Amino acid sequence: MKERVFQIVSQVLGLPLDQIHEQSSPENIEAWDSLKHMNLILALEEEFGVQFTDEKIVEMLSVKLIMEAVEELLPQVKNDSQR
Amino acid sequence: MKTLSYSQIQEELSPEKLAPLPPLNITILRNITLEPIEPYLRYLGYQMGFNVRTRFGGYDRIFQEAAGEQKDLLNEETDCVLIFLKLETLSWSLARSFPGLSLEQIEVEKERIQDFFVKVLTGIRKQTSGMILWHGFELPVYPALGIIDPQRKAGQTALIQDLNQFLRDTLQQQPNAYFVDLNTCLIRIGARNFYDLRYWHIGKAPYSREALQEIAREVFKYLRPLKGKSKKCLVLDCDHVLWGGTIGEDGLAGIKLGKTYPGSAYYEFQQEILNLYHRGVILALCSKNNEEEVWEVFQKHPEMVLQKEHIATAQINWRDKATNLQQIAADLNIGLDSLVFMDDSDFEIHLIRQTLPEVTVIPLPRDRAIEYREILASCGLFETLALSEEDRNRGMMYRAEAARKQLQRESINLESYYASLEMVLEIRFADEFSIPRIAQLTQKTNQFNLTTRRYSDADIQRLSESDSADVIYLRLRDRFGDSGIVGVCILKYEADQAILDSFLLSCRVLGRGVEEAFLIQCLKRAKLKGSKVAMGEYRPTAKNGQVKDFYLNQAFKPVGVADQVYSFQMDLTTFTRCESQFFKHIDSEIDK
Repeated sequence: MKERVFQIVSQVLGLPLDQIHEQSSPENIEAWDSLKHMNLILALEEEFGVQFTDEKIVEMLSVKLIMEAVEELLPQVKNDSQR
Repeated sequence: MKTLSYSQIQEELSPEKLAPLPPLNITILRNITLEPIEPYLRYLGYQMGFNVRTRFGGYDRIFQEAAGEQKDLLNEETDCVLIFLKLETLSWSLARSFPGLSLEQIEVEKERIQDFFVKVLTGIRKQTSGMILWHGFELPVYPALGIIDPQRKAGQTALIQDLNQFLRDTLQQQPNAYFVDLNTCLIRIGARNFYDLRYWHIGKAPYSREALQEIAREVFKYLRPLKGKSKKCLVLDCDHVLWGGTIGEDGLAGIKLGKTYPGSAYYEFQQEILNLYHRGVILALCSKNNEEEVWEVFQKHPEMVLQKEHIATAQINWRDKATNLQQIAADLNIGLDSLVFMDDSDFEIHLIRQTLPEVTVIPLPRDRAIEYREILASCGLFETLALSEEDRNRGMMYRAEAARKQLQRESINLESYYASLEMVLEIRFADEFSIPRIAQLTQKTNQFNLTTRRYSDADIQRLSESDSADVIYLRLRDRFGDSGIVGVCILKYEADQAILDSFLLSCRVLGRGVEEAFLIQCLKRAKLKGSKVAMGEYRPTAKNGQVKDFYLNQAFKPVGVADQVYSFQMDLTTFTRCESQFFKHIDSEIDK
């Protein structure tokens, strides 16, 4: 799951994969503006077949927070990654 | 049609693939957040063979952009301007607080909006002659007055319909400007899937990805004919496509076709095909059957909607379908990329995709015959920007062409064959009735086209009014019927030179001396205008190889080659050629 999130963040923001970290956020990535954030959310929803609430969307402002939000909606993925 | 994900699109669209394609410049003016539509526009453009470049006007700055505030947003490079004007942003009161308004307040708002339409449209037109696609207002999903709303002339729904009607009328007065009905997109998807309320609140982006994809598809229905990429011919398989079952095994009484289930799926599909025929699409058959059995269905089955007379040409035999499709394209004198092939067999679909990638292929899943009609109606491949008389009569004209070929086989001497056609040429300057067809010909003609310059209605209008240019058209009639306007020549006059800016003919009238007579007429016109030299150009494209030597064959002298453009000239001071004698009549207003 982590890999897929990194992949999408890299693709949507147009940055090489090795520049994406768990701490990556709009604070330290210039390309991550509000429009890109919208694209990011929609791409994540497509990839994982989930839907975030509006409150969650405005909070998901780092790769780490994104992964937590996805995990919340996909408990089985969480179990897989712990195994 | 399948929905593409953002990732899939990104993977498809690499800069290396896009770079060599011609640009398609789209400017988007909007009062909502609409940036997420961009990947869909780029993807659909790529599928059509273009590198889409989008420019967005500022958020809610439509009026300012129309006034020319932002340079480089609108200019002669702009192919198309998309306008998205959401009522919620433009007039909160009409959109969301309607029941509290007095009749006077409604009237004031209505007039303000109508004034806005006119000013914005005029402002955009001043900056570009590109296509304008204005998306009308969506109807309210829950009308403001509830069930009373549809009863009232002054209801919210009626008011929005009035505004859309006004917009439609205003756009119609402008060349190359069209009303796009967002409500058709909305009803296809349904309001619960069309809107994404989360991003409406977070970022004033109202539409879901599914909606944006559907809207982008709708936009490309206009861009396809604009760029001359509409398909011309629908090629159909027979068994399991035009009727259920196999005629060779089930027999005339056993195949499924009629007004009741299960034959109704095929009956409705045939009706949709016939509708396309009446919109100017050429129909052809390509099937593996015994030919006489197929025609027996056409002649004897009481529920056949399609008749033999609707079919321009057919390849019904046991050869491979790739060969047959090539034969169909050759018979009709059109390119393989003008064909759409529909078949239920995975084998045939795969074969054509592999061997003839230019042909557009639409698979018909045999177990979903009830969807055939929908699949055809939604494809958006055959759109035209106007419906001309030529479109309506095209099927008839192609049948006439087949009859001419029959006569050609019977005649031996070509001159006497041409004379037997009783051809009448009508040569005229462009006028208000012919301008749309002339523009259409410049957009659609690929093969017999010396320069392949594409012009809009507005371009042709301007050229025809200019003192330093002539727009001339050719209309052809013969004993088999009226082919309509089939040739265009644009002459531009500079000093003592006449430049053949465009010279093109529809392929179905070639090979009977018409091209030569038309050129001679145009050269006579140039001479009358006082030009001493006529300059011709050949600009090679992937499709116009057949006219490479046209000017040479017409006794022009080669001048040279520069930037892939071959130039030719003809001394008009000594030019005295006459048209061949085999025409019944040449009715010209340009040579006197």
